[in-house]
Amino acid sequence: MPEGVAMPDLSVALERYEELRVRADAEYAAWRNPERPRIDIAMDTSSLANGARATGVAIHRVITERNAAVDMGQVHGYGMQWIHPSVQITFPNGETVLYGPVKPEDAARIVDEATGTWGAAADLRHGMVTGTHEGVPSIRDHEFFSLEPHERRLMRNLGLTDPDNLMHYIARDGYRATARMLGRHLSEEQVRNTLNDAGLTGRGGANFPTGLKWNFLYGAPGEEHYMVCNADEGDPGAWVNRVVMEGDPHLLIEGMLIGSYATKAKVGFIYLRDEYPFSVQRMEDAIREAEAAGILGNDVLGTGLEFHLRVVRGAGAYVCGEETGLLSSIQDSRGMPRVKPPFPAQRGVFNKPSNVNNVESFANVPLIVRHNSEWYREHGSDKQSGTKIFSFSGDIPRVGFMEIPFATRLEDCLRVCGGIQGGQLKAIQSGGPLGSLLPAEALPKLILQPDSFTPWDAIMGGGGMVFCNDQTSVLVLTEMFAQFVEDESCGRCITCHHGNQRQTEIIRRILDGEGRREDEPNLVMLDRTLQFSNCVHGQFSPKITRNMRVHFKGDFEAALLGVDPTLTMKGMYEVVVANQRPEEQAKAAADICPTAAIQGEPGRRRVVDEACIRCGACFEVAPDVMAKRPKAPKPGLVPIG
Amino acid sequence: MPLETESKARVRALVADFRPNNGDMMAALHRVQHEFGYLSQESLEVIAEQLDMFPAILYGAASFYDEFRFEAPAQTTVRWCSGPACRLRNSNGIRDAMLATLGMEDLHEQTEDHRVGMVLGQCNGCCELAPMVWLEQHGDHGPEQTPVGHMTAARAVRMARALRDGADIEEAIDA
Ligand SMILES: Cc1cc2nc3c(=O)[nH]c(=O)nc-3n(C[C@H](O)[C@H](O)[C@H](O)COP(=O)(O)O)c2cc1C
Ligand code: SF4
Ligand code: SF4
Ligand code: FES
Repeated sequence: MPEGVAMPDLSVALERYEELRVRADAEYAAWRNPERPRIDIAMDTSSLANGARATGVAIHRVITERNAAVDMGQVHGYGMQWIHPSVQITFPNGETVLYGPVKPEDAARIVDEATGTWGAAADLRHGMVTGTHEGVPSIRDHEFFSLEPHERRLMRNLGLTDPDNLMHYIARDGYRATARMLGRHLSEEQVRNTLNDAGLTGRGGANFPTGLKWNFLYGAPGEEHYMVCNADEGDPGAWVNRVVMEGDPHLLIEGMLIGSYATKAKVGFIYLRDEYPFSVQRMEDAIREAEAAGILGNDVLGTGLEFHLRVVRGAGAYVCGEETGLLSSIQDSRGMPRVKPPFPAQRGVFNKPSNVNNVESFANVPLIVRHNSEWYREHGSDKQSGTKIFSFSGDIPRVGFMEIPFATRLEDCLRVCGGIQGGQLKAIQSGGPLGSLLPAEALPKLILQPDSFTPWDAIMGGGGMVFCNDQTSVLVLTEMFAQFVEDESCGRCITCHHGNQRQTEIIRRILDGEGRREDEPNLVMLDRTLQFSNCVHGQFSPKITRNMRVHFKGDFEAALLGVDPTLTMKGMYEVVVANQRPEEQAKAAADICPTAAIQGEPGRRRVVDEACIRCGACFEVAPDVMAKRPKAPKPGLVPIG
Repeated sequence: MPLETESKARVRALVADFRPNNGDMMAALHRVQHEFGYLSQESLEVIAEQLDMFPAILYGAASFYDEFRFEAPAQTTVRWCSGPACRLRNSNGIRDAMLATLGMEDLHEQTEDHRVGMVLGQCNGCCELAPMVWLEQHGDHGPEQTPVGHMTAARAVRMARALRDGADIEEAIDA
């Protein structure tokens, strides 16, 4: 603080907050108990992909045609993505019911249900989001949410607010932590200590204590400190950060605002992946609203404190999720990870002290500051306190996300997701491309806590869990990740850049049925070499291949011999015309084949093997005609060992 | 070349509020690509000038990112999801079927008549729709993306044939 400038009076924050709160309470009460029934369309990336806009348009049309006494609004999906597009109806008595999937053709029934013909959409109901209604269970009692705490924390506003409405966030105690922290003169150190006491650790994968990291930035020299949010969420199969940003954008803003106070940062960046345009829009709108309300900007809640926040949109580079790559990308250059130290707290954005945290790390902060660290520790375990959002996908009937306490059994998660579908559980993929491929036998022993994964040479990671059945070879998945880490190598280190090219080549060749005796030792050598890469990307890039080699040794060795019981590795099976009849099917197969590999006259059709690319199109149209036949193992291939 | 000057002026107006050393590069590149569908050499020159960067440095930086394009996209681009949930449902077959139908060797190519292109896409967490692709076109208001879920290889062939033969997105989805 320069000489002669008075300390800002922070107690004014409480007054400002109370003013906002009065307005927010009134607006929110009118939304919760509307004068007329309201149909809220769930709007988020998943809902939109499932056709939420078309559903919204159809409902709007019915309302207009009938001049029905119904309003429309929006919420975020509740977690059950398999029922998208979903809608909620809120009645004047405050009862809210969740429906899905609501297709455009269901619009009339939904409007009927909202306007008094209770039961018109009974088959689409899933439960009560709030209130009770005879014959309709609470959504909290749905099996899918049975592992969640009774009261959600990070997802507490889902289904209960319009994510685009700042007033809704405030009415549900949003920005209260900020107002109290400032108004009651909580010191920067107290804030950081509260987080440390709570046991909050980074959710981006490395699990470093958040408060401790903030100590480094607070203690860094100079006035110019930057607070950076890592919203790059590049792991395929993980969409935890997306839920926070699209479901409750102000929770992230408030987390960053508290962080800026606790570390003396005046400027913040949210580095957000390009694949989430809807998140970009929600975050930018929320920032604008917070600025207009005097929560962000030059005069945070009237205190004279400054915090400016901006979204920087990524452009499809996975390594920009690595914190130094991310910082480089913000600074107008290639997003290449660099050598550490210097750490971001020493040299970050524009070479000034900075701090990088994951979206979910920030999202926990307002909750901890508003309650206390003991409250936070009520969930989770001694080793890892709190709750975390996880996203579940793969061969399961219920794809979605939930917020569960740490140390929840992974086996229970699979159960509430409806169990494995289409075969037996074969593998669990966690932690993204730098993560793990776990064998089915690990499942009963795994709890959602980082150290539980360690004995399996695995990581829990950012929260994406993919359950895989035994119908696809684990080598097909290995090839996917090998190619991913190769593609996404920034190219700085020869080990990572070329090592990963070699790794992919070898795996591909095995898939083509050309495995060699030396492949295993070569993969081991590459693994060792990759450890000498600069950043975690290179160091962890052979991890999934290693997991495959070790945890799925039988599959790997069989593949080297050209044997694949799943018949999903290209080089290990051929496609044949098993039956010439029915001819309609045989003709359909020949017609659909993109390479014209199915040749010959009716009754004498055959597949030209060299032309067949194993795409699988013919099986769909001709299930009784086309078949896969395992190839004999390559002659001359010497068994290893 | 009066045309060139005009489009340069358009780029200049688009990026006028960006400043050097302010972390504006990504936003500037996005805004111009959003408007024109790609980053032409001439637009890179204008952005470089605005950000006080050498064009070579700017191009070097921009080309690091998969999503920045330096040539006009095809009329319709098929963005193929490369994520794990999709791979478990034969997304490799879907990719290969479409490439073969379109006569392309690999992703990131276009048909000769520039009608259809194919690019690698990343999972954005809609895995309940796996396997999926997105069909993209560059409209008047920037890129427009239509997700198509529950793909199959046979559907991929029909969709690719329709697009190749000039169908619009709706027709291709119903093909
Ligand atoms: C290649 C690579 C990609 C990464 N991607 C992400 C990411 O998408 N999101 C994220 O939060 N952290 C990611 N990380 C970890 C970050 O480097 C960093 O540890 C994290 O953002 C710190 O935040 P936290 O302490 O709150 O977890 C990645 C790391 C590597 C090596
Ligand atoms: S390890 Fe790979 S991603 Fe990391 S700096 Fe080296 S080349 Fe780049
Ligand atoms: S798998 Fe594909 S390429 Fe092979 S015969 Fe069937 S349709 Fe043709
Ligand atoms: S893996 Fe394709 S949408 Fe997630």
